[in-house]
Amino acid sequence: MQLLANALIAGSLAALIAGGLALVYGVLGVFNMALGQLALTGGYIAWWLHQVAHLSLFVSVIGGLISGALMTWLTFEVFVRPFYKHHRFLPLVTTIAWSMILDGLILLVFEERPRSILSGGKSMIPIGSALISKEQCIMIILTIASLLLFAWVFHCTPFGRKLRAVVQHESAARSLGINSAVLHRVIFIVSGVFAAAGGIFIGIDQNLSPTLAFSLTIKAYAAIIAGGKGNIWGAIICAYAIALLEQLLVGIHWFGAFYVPAGYQQTVALLFIIGILLLKPSGLFRSVSRTA
Amino acid sequence: MRKFFTLSSLLALSLTACGAGDNGPIKLGMISALTGDAAAIGADQLSGVQMAIAEINAAGGVNGRQIELIAEDGKCAGADGATAAQKLVNVDKVVAIVGGLCSGETLAAAPIAEAAKVIMLSPSASSPDITKAGDFIFRDYPSDAGKTKAIAKYFADEKYSRIAILSENTDYSQALRASLKKDLPEGAVVFDENFDPGTKDFRSLLGRLKDAEYDALVSNPNSDGVNAVIVQQFRELELPGQIVGTDTMDSVVIAQIAGEEADGVMLVNVPTAGEGTSFEADFTAKNGDPKSSIAWAAYSYDAVKVLAQAFKAVGTDGMAVKDYLYSMQPYTGVIGSFHFDGNGDPVGLSYVLKKFDDGKVVTVKPLPLE
Amino acid sequence: MNFFLHIIVMIATTVPNVLGFNLLFGRGKIFHFGPLGVSIVAAYGIFLVTIATDSFTLGIAAGLLVVSLASAFFAWLSLRLDADGFGVMSIAVHLGLLAVVLNWSSLTRGALGIPRIPRFVFLDSTLDFALFSTVVAAVWSYILWKIDKGPFGRKLIALSEHEWHAKSLGIDRPQVHLIAFLLAGIGALLSNVLYPQYLYLLHPSDYGFPGFVFFVTVVVAGGPGSVRGCLLSLILLSFLREGLRFIPMAPDILGPLRLILFGLILYIAVYCRRDLLFPKQRTV
Repeated sequence: MQLLANALIAGSLAALIAGGLALVYGVLGVFNMALGQLALTGGYIAWWLHQVAHLSLFVSVIGGLISGALMTWLTFEVFVRPFYKHHRFLPLVTTIAWSMILDGLILLVFEERPRSILSGGKSMIPIGSALISKEQCIMIILTIASLLLFAWVFHCTPFGRKLRAVVQHESAARSLGINSAVLHRVIFIVSGVFAAAGGIFIGIDQNLSPTLAFSLTIKAYAAIIAGGKGNIWGAIICAYAIALLEQLLVGIHWFGAFYVPAGYQQTVALLFIIGILLLKPSGLFRSVSRTA
Repeated sequence: MRKFFTLSSLLALSLTACGAGDNGPIKLGMISALTGDAAAIGADQLSGVQMAIAEINAAGGVNGRQIELIAEDGKCAGADGATAAQKLVNVDKVVAIVGGLCSGETLAAAPIAEAAKVIMLSPSASSPDITKAGDFIFRDYPSDAGKTKAIAKYFADEKYSRIAILSENTDYSQALRASLKKDLPEGAVVFDENFDPGTKDFRSLLGRLKDAEYDALVSNPNSDGVNAVIVQQFRELELPGQIVGTDTMDSVVIAQIAGEEADGVMLVNVPTAGEGTSFEADFTAKNGDPKSSIAWAAYSYDAVKVLAQAFKAVGTDGMAVKDYLYSMQPYTGVIGSFHFDGNGDPVGLSYVLKKFDDGKVVTVKPLPLE
Repeated sequence: MNFFLHIIVMIATTVPNVLGFNLLFGRGKIFHFGPLGVSIVAAYGIFLVTIATDSFTLGIAAGLLVVSLASAFFAWLSLRLDADGFGVMSIAVHLGLLAVVLNWSSLTRGALGIPRIPRFVFLDSTLDFALFSTVVAAVWSYILWKIDKGPFGRKLIALSEHEWHAKSLGIDRPQVHLIAFLLAGIGALLSNVLYPQYLYLLHPSDYGFPGFVFFVTVVVAGGPGSVRGCLLSLILLSFLREGLRFIPMAPDILGPLRLILFGLILYIAVYCRRDLLFPKQRTV
């Protein structure tokens, strides 16, 4: 029971970052390796607003999200847009460059010490046999709500239909009068807002340190690749699945005989994708798309 | 402040260009992690070293000669540690090196210093391999052996017979873990897990601890940030038993992050690493709050002071300094009184039990070793 | 002088590995993110056996064996998966191998690394090492240059440009991939038989993701696929990286600045090389 709660906490964080990214990957087909750094930037700015500028938590969180959006916009204009039409793999390398620059900037501006947005103890609520804090409850609910809303917009509204049209066949969508360039930008920024939300999540639930970024990025991509290209549901489900697997792995006495050493916790989750991809090279939930 | 250092190092550079004889500045090298996972510790070490040098120079230097610092980034990695040592030894021709931070960079740099007969004095490398790294390789960081004996003694005093250990998979934590397991009685370790460097979600691991029968948890990560998370999640899950930490627990950051949840956490460390002394006041006035812990600055500060004392007594020749350090009378610095044994490890440091109380770290009692 | 020789050693011991990676990533456009995974296998394979048996011959033989297996595994993955999947997968395999090394501490001493690595008897001073590793690097560069210019290089290019067309011309994709990965594996072996010897230390911290980013920067800046360009960019970037140490600046600012500078170099390199790195695909 506690394991499930733990998986919900960790999974919500992963899903938050992976959800927006799945859309970017599905529509633009590009990788954004600076995603983890963008998430951290959002978290750090929220921390700064709350702990240094002493604004209220709500304002700080909004500020963090907005700054996340702005940073992602910058990322898009400088590191993605000049390249992705050329070849969709070029942004992969440019965003690695951007992630190094951001790493350096985070070190210079926010320094190395750990930062926590909310300090102090958390009041725990027992749910069944599990203990979960108030903040965690709120964050899990907000995450699931925003992801559901997001997926609903994508799958069930006219705007979502436009998005999906661009995913399926870009030039056809354009000939139908859909402004795909603007859509690309919007999608990219949305993914940045989700990432920043993830960074704030970390800052509230745990604490921020400059070296977290890489594992965030990798886990998000693991979920996306395993979930199937362009399938948001798949990415979200896989993000939760990976988190659950991570928790089960170290938390369960396997076959009543042994525990998996905790040092393998994160790796095994990544190897999980390997299993899936080898069985189904196009991902667990392949999007059913018509081919022209 | 930073501008000042830039200026002063520029000035120093132009000075060396004029040629340094025996009356020129004494060049002291430093290898630390200024970027990468351990950069917070590296920053504190750098501040400590700079502070010691500033004090020595303000007091007229060593026998009239100023000390000039050349700091290099070893990034906690072997390759960069070796490159840093090559530059310090062969380009800058330093007479001694303070560093490295991690055992990896220290071990890679050691053969280079050893070959050039340059003293290396590490303020934080804890690996048992350093002991045998060479004649010119010293450290003023307490070896794990003494620290873990003190922990074992504390456990015996409190009748904690079932011990859980949670260690980060880094050389620092692993060396401590190995040493601790050696000092605890047979069968005392009931839970012994390592986690990936940088992990911040311990809920399931700690959840499993709930089912284990244990008296005390030794929290053994590489940094205070991770320690804070372990303490927080330990309390969130309302686990029973005592949390015990070591150096990385001795940090105000933990109280800042975990708040009242940190209260009651015990730790075993040297009596003072500068907390509450004039050293800390001076440090804070110069550099602001330490980025990781004042202790890292203190060990580095003492390392410079010990070297300066040696230079004063026997000059800057590597062989002479080496012999001096091996036969040195106990030196009383910020971290306590110590001298070096035949392997270049510090002896004489004592350990105390400390406790988080109302957001502060207070000393509970000494843990004398027989 | 010794410092200069040291940089030469560092460059020369990296050359085989980077050129192997260049063959895969630069020439073959194979999205291989795990070259350091193969390096870990190579280094630990060689030196664990060498230390256990006290014989370099056995150690290198064992290294060759495990490297071939690891390379073949990567080659198989690259055939089984599409480019994106393989990219993420190869990172996962790299991190997985690193985790094995860290956690299997009874064998590898985990995070403590293996100190006091033995050296070849004829390698003593830095000068010996610089000469020997330069010879190895030069021979390996020449071999790869020949291969690259020869029929094999053309096959690899053909496959990277248009897989189906290449196939219809009778190019055997599995075979070409396997050979390319094996060549890269041997490069990793050559690099890693020398590098830990030079440091007297085998430490897992030298095999993390940042090392891989340096590889990518070198290949992209040197002109993807070009052996000469890669060598040149490796030399220039290495000297730049270590040359930054000579800038008089507060060391705590210099570290982050170096990260930023290398980020910018990579970005500019991609900007200038975007036609070479991933040529625009011709649409029919």
